[in-house]
Amino acid sequence: MEIFPILLIPLVLAGIAVLPGVKAGRSRKFGVLNAAGHFANAALAVTLALGLLKSGEPVSFLGFFYADILSAFFILTISVINSISALYSIGYISADVKDGVMSERKAKAYYALFNLFALSMLCVPLVSNLGMVWVAIEMTTLVSAFLVGFYNRKESIEAAWKYIIICSVGITLALLGTILFYYTASRDGGISSLNWTDMAAVAGSLNPSILKVAFLFILVGYGTKAGFVPMHTWLPDAHSQALAPISAMLSGVLLPTAIYAIIRFATITNVCIGTGYTGNLFMLFGLVSLGVGAGFVLVQRDIKRLLAYSSVENIGIIAAGLGFGGTVAIYGALFHIFNHAAAKSLMFFAAGRAVKKYGSHNIREIRGIISAMPFAGTMLIIGVFALTGSPPFSAFFSEIMILLAGFKMGLWPQAALLLLFMAVAFSAIVLNISRSAFGGKPEGMPVEGEPLSGKFAFGILILLICAMGLAAPGFFRDLLLAASEIIRGA
Amino acid sequence: MAVGLILFGILMMAFAMVAAKRMSALIFGFRAQSFFLFLLTFILAFRENSTQLYFVTTMLFAIKVVLVPNFLCRVARRIKVNEDLGLSANPTVSIFAAVLLSYMAYLFTGKILSLPGEFENSAFFVSLSVTMIGIFLMMARMKALAQIIGLLVMENGMFLAAASVSGGMPFIVEIAIFFDILLVVIILGVFVFKINKLFTHIDVDKLTELKG
Repeated sequence: MEIFPILLIPLVLAGIAVLPGVKAGRSRKFGVLNAAGHFANAALAVTLALGLLKSGEPVSFLGFFYADILSAFFILTISVINSISALYSIGYISADVKDGVMSERKAKAYYALFNLFALSMLCVPLVSNLGMVWVAIEMTTLVSAFLVGFYNRKESIEAAWKYIIICSVGITLALLGTILFYYTASRDGGISSLNWTDMAAVAGSLNPSILKVAFLFILVGYGTKAGFVPMHTWLPDAHSQALAPISAMLSGVLLPTAIYAIIRFATITNVCIGTGYTGNLFMLFGLVSLGVGAGFVLVQRDIKRLLAYSSVENIGIIAAGLGFGGTVAIYGALFHIFNHAAAKSLMFFAAGRAVKKYGSHNIREIRGIISAMPFAGTMLIIGVFALTGSPPFSAFFSEIMILLAGFKMGLWPQAALLLLFMAVAFSAIVLNISRSAFGGKPEGMPVEGEPLSGKFAFGILILLICAMGLAAPGFFRDLLLAASEIIRGA
Repeated sequence: MAVGLILFGILMMAFAMVAAKRMSALIFGFRAQSFFLFLLTFILAFRENSTQLYFVTTMLFAIKVVLVPNFLCRVARRIKVNEDLGLSANPTVSIFAAVLLSYMAYLFTGKILSLPGEFENSAFFVSLSVTMIGIFLMMARMKALAQIIGLLVMENGMFLAAASVSGGMPFIVEIAIFFDILLVVIILGVFVFKINKLFTHIDVDKLTELKG
């Protein structure tokens, strides 16, 4: 029963964070505790996954909490990124406190919100009730809005406002979809339960036309949260205004939690009307997001917005993989969720360092990161290639899997478009980032090293993006395989 | 019969909000719509004689008829919002758009969903209309407070859909959604204060720091 400690750790940490008492240096100490807690969580997630793989049986508690291998995969990804972000936060927050950008009191609020955000994301894959999934996803928006608007600047408040409003509208549409699912389940399936396990059991007898409409609402609604084009408009604002560790979490794992919710509904729909309907919709939204995202990456001059549009583009790749269907493509899509999360975190951490040092988001004003910050600059360059899916990094393997599966299934035009847009995104990111990475640093800018916690965070990420590609541990491959079988409904 | 009148009232209040030119009228429209919704769930609770539905009814009254509108009134007073709503479409055009949206909802309910039972059909038609009118309010009213009300109108539509079409969602979900709404409104209220403080206005169309 790892479910409870996984949820309890962030809750307790949030409680400790708001304990009274503001002393100098408290935020640093708490940061260390916070990181330790989240690493323990990641370890628990691994044991949860191992246990589920061994028994093959999903665990559930009172019909409320539920975890199967697909949940375990998402829990693992979320907790790994959380722990690395927590580690990176130590140096980031204490530097802010030292520079006077943030008070000790504000740092307390940061850690409390960080943990509530982590908790709400971890809840999503662990509850079996689709209504509660909805509530948990709405919670992720509400908590993270404060983290987006954290600096209380004009731009960040504007971003936070757009974020809540657009995502709340989206998620209200998802609620309508959920209600319609519930309606046909109670009328045609004869159950009055929102547990998706119960719904999946009666999926065959549901009303196909209502399911089609309902799934559309779900896809548009949760798709807003996942960042599908054209509902993505909140995303570049929110990602560029949030603090660097939060940007990593928003981009790396928050978007996939919305994908998780869509997947659960899609598996129910697939049982009833076959995979064609959901697959085509996934492909459509995926390719449009990928194309538009890649286009915006090309013309972007703000380094954090560039990374945000790259998230839109990567969500597109993931959705296309889910849409192609078949074990290989779905395996690739899940694998890409993990790889994108790791590579994007690396990029946001490095870009965050650069933005702080140069005091600007503009790529034209950020010059010579490598000479000004040798460590972060090198990480940025590695991150560019990891993110765009160059060998030998792990994203290469996931992207190639999705592509090959597409071609192999005879989806020539779609797979060719996928390849084209990937190439555009690749050249755009390499071109734009290398401009600010190389070149001479501004006159008189001192060379700066990386704090120890930051070095560790970068180190773990580099290890992940290299190792997962070349020699993924056996259990991770089994986990992905079993999870993709669940999505296929096998 | 009574139920039909109440549904009509819910829809009419949505139109009244579209026609409203002042913030106080908008908030009043929302309060009245929530009150009709309360009457409807009360009748449903009475018919099924279920304690859970009575509880939901009480929550609905407390949160949507009393707490949330009062809170919005207070926010409006505190930031001394001038009464106009930042109409990007004038009331006549807005009413026309709302009628069109209702008609689309009618077609959608009749042709695509075709639910059994007259009550379910008309309730779903009203809920879908109210939801779309909520979206319209959010797009066509440029004051931050008016956008919050648009979101709440959407939520009212959702509540109606859940209560009538599926005879109420599972209890715990219903409660969780209520707390969620309360939380959304409070948090959005906090952000309205922040916007007002930083920008000295709450005109959403003038929030243009972020581009591209």
